[in-house]
Amino acid sequence: MSSQRISRIAPRESATLHREHVPDKPLQRPRGRFLLDRGASLPLILPATILVLIFLVGPFGYMTYTAMTDLSYANPDQNGAFVGLDNFRHLVRNDPIFWHSFWLTIRFVLVAVGLEFVFGFAIAWLIWRFVERQRLLTTLFLVPMMLAPVAVGLIWRLLLQGDFGMVTHYLHKVGLLSQSSAVFSSPSLVMPTIIAIDVWQWTPFVTLIILAGLMSLPKPPFEAATMDGAGPWRQFVDILLPLLRPIIALVLLLRAIDAFKEFDKVFILTGGGPGTISELLSIYAYRVNFKNWDLGYGAAVAFMVYLVVLIMCSVFYKAVYWKSAGAAGR
Amino acid sequence: MPRSNGNFRALSMTAAFATAALLIQTAAGNAWSLEEAAAPYKGVTIRTIGEALPPLEAMSALAPEFEERTGIKVEIEMYEHSEAVSKVMLDLNSRRGRYDFIIQPHRELGKFVTNGNVQPVDAFLESPELRDPEFKPEEQLYQGLWKEISWYDQKAFGFPFTALSMYMWYRSDLLTDEKEKEGFKAKYGYELAPAKNWDEYRDIAEWFTRAEEGLYGTALQGKRHEALWYEWLNFLYSFGGDMLEANSGSECGPVIVNSPQAIAATEYYKSLKEFSPPDTLNYFWDDVMALMQQGTVTQLIMWNDATYAVAVDESVSTVVGKMGFDMVPEGEGGRVAQAEGWTYLIPTASKNKEAAYLFIQWMMDYDQQLRQHLNGGATARPDVYASPEVQELPYAKASMAANEVAKPKPTLPQSAQMTDILVRELSSFLADEKTAKEALHRSAQEISALLGSCAPMKYPVE
Repeated sequence: MSSQRISRIAPRESATLHREHVPDKPLQRPRGRFLLDRGASLPLILPATILVLIFLVGPFGYMTYTAMTDLSYANPDQNGAFVGLDNFRHLVRNDPIFWHSFWLTIRFVLVAVGLEFVFGFAIAWLIWRFVERQRLLTTLFLVPMMLAPVAVGLIWRLLLQGDFGMVTHYLHKVGLLSQSSAVFSSPSLVMPTIIAIDVWQWTPFVTLIILAGLMSLPKPPFEAATMDGAGPWRQFVDILLPLLRPIIALVLLLRAIDAFKEFDKVFILTGGGPGTISELLSIYAYRVNFKNWDLGYGAAVAFMVYLVVLIMCSVFYKAVYWKSAGAAGR
Repeated sequence: MPRSNGNFRALSMTAAFATAALLIQTAAGNAWSLEEAAAPYKGVTIRTIGEALPPLEAMSALAPEFEERTGIKVEIEMYEHSEAVSKVMLDLNSRRGRYDFIIQPHRELGKFVTNGNVQPVDAFLESPELRDPEFKPEEQLYQGLWKEISWYDQKAFGFPFTALSMYMWYRSDLLTDEKEKEGFKAKYGYELAPAKNWDEYRDIAEWFTRAEEGLYGTALQGKRHEALWYEWLNFLYSFGGDMLEANSGSECGPVIVNSPQAIAATEYYKSLKEFSPPDTLNYFWDDVMALMQQGTVTQLIMWNDATYAVAVDESVSTVVGKMGFDMVPEGEGGRVAQAEGWTYLIPTASKNKEAAYLFIQWMMDYDQQLRQHLNGGATARPDVYASPEVQELPYAKASMAANEVAKPKPTLPQSAQMTDILVRELSSFLADEKTAKEALHRSAQEISALLGSCAPMKYPVE
């Protein structure tokens, strides 16, 4: 922030400022910094770099290469010959199931993450304002988040089982579900139910992050605003939200990435069905790769998932950076 | 007289030679023993993988006996159907050789063979050190089933682990109940009895659907899962339809999956949904088996290797002694069943091929086959079916009848993709996303494109 501030000052003014800050003795670099610059940093970052290369960059490179081949374990004629961008061309132009899954995933991310944010923010704010023993409550809230997604899938599969599921039983009893239907056999209920389960699992995560952000907010701006006569709503909109913006962006980004890759729960609950009603992009990628063993085409699908996540990260990052830069400029 | 003397001499010589040959053969036969054949492999551990169902559990119970006799340790990994298949696929293609022999559904065979992942069994059968002279698969197995389940392109790659088929399961106690019979006859005008055709099947399903009592006429395996495709095939074949016009599983041919018979079969199949429990679009074989065990379903089409857990095992079933079994009802295609099976195969990357072969051969022996069958197996040996113990099983007759008319299904390398296409489209049809015609036309187009020039569409889409 300070460097940006200085850069906005006229050069002459800047020079004056610089002169004012020049100490009598020449600046001495801190010893640690000196060592880093002399190459001592290399052994420190090398292990992590190697791990990143082996476990992230390498597989990603291999996936990208595979996406440009016709490799298939099912078809002996497709033995991994280089086909350039054919897989991507086919994916984009001639694969309606891919596009169905893509837009379904986008809708899932928007609705699920949107609801998680609204509920998570509201709960965090209520805890921050009205609850004394925040840590105890927060711990209790974390239980769904700590469960493995597969376990969440299995739990809800049992709870919503059409014949003996406990939740189904009560839904029938209170009349929210007709006696002749079951949640995962009713096409119109499948996606809303999957979204509801995702919201149940991940709202605590949003709550936790937002609550941490709220607890770290400085008090003076609020005190000053109160003295100036600003009401709670004005303080919320003009002080709390802008201060929380980086935290909000972070939590939305993390949840959006995770939701875009959602696989386990849907696989356990519906396997992508009935029909293609819950076939998210990750389920489609799984089918192409591990049911049909069409690995070249499957790698292209996986690459597209990566590409979307990358674009999402970049958009979020730019939004936060732009806002921060804007705020600093103001 | 001299002539007769000559005849006598010739006869005596022939008899002497025959006796000598017989003695030599017997001596050679006696010379072979499992212990001696296995001696070079003592201390070796062989690992296999298969589907976690009674046949494999029965094999697991028998394996210690083989271990004791041979000193070869047998490790068995059991997984759910899809997982057992994908784990093998990854292992075979990585050529790690984790599994010394594998137990896989026969529709995967084409893929394994054309990729060079598994090896023919001729070498083992021709080896005097390894082959038990008593083991004669060409005589001891149902030849049709062996060739369908374990052969590809006229070559044997293994032996059937299970010879499976689907047939009708029904609650005999309900179908013989006097009150039910009276009411049924009054409504439908004929005697209540196990369904012989699809009209009767539907009437029985309708009659016994009493949701308020927790009883349903049938249960469809409507989940987006292989189970849906397998179940639907019974309807398809019975209505006179098929997927490809071909004589054997390893043959390609015109696509006929969207024939008028196939469309009629698919529409009929969906019409049974209203007599199924509400969660029917979320069921696969485990779910419907559980429903039958709990006594909430009157009749359904199910696998023979799951029968034991419902009809015999009192620790898990409430309907032991109340079950009846018969072939799939008759349609325009006659009384048919589908051939399916899991087969023993030896991967080319296996590190202990000989030890694996010895175990497989031992498992194919009459005694082991009988014990495996009585504990939930589904043998491919007719002599096992003929044994009095097996004949006592309530499902023996239905199993044998189904085996005799079992129709082959594609085992081409692309068969898994064909299945996936059909599962998706059938599931879309059940979920009201498409009509039967749209779903099958789409399937036909995709299958034809997948198989290429050998599989033109016999019923082109307008």
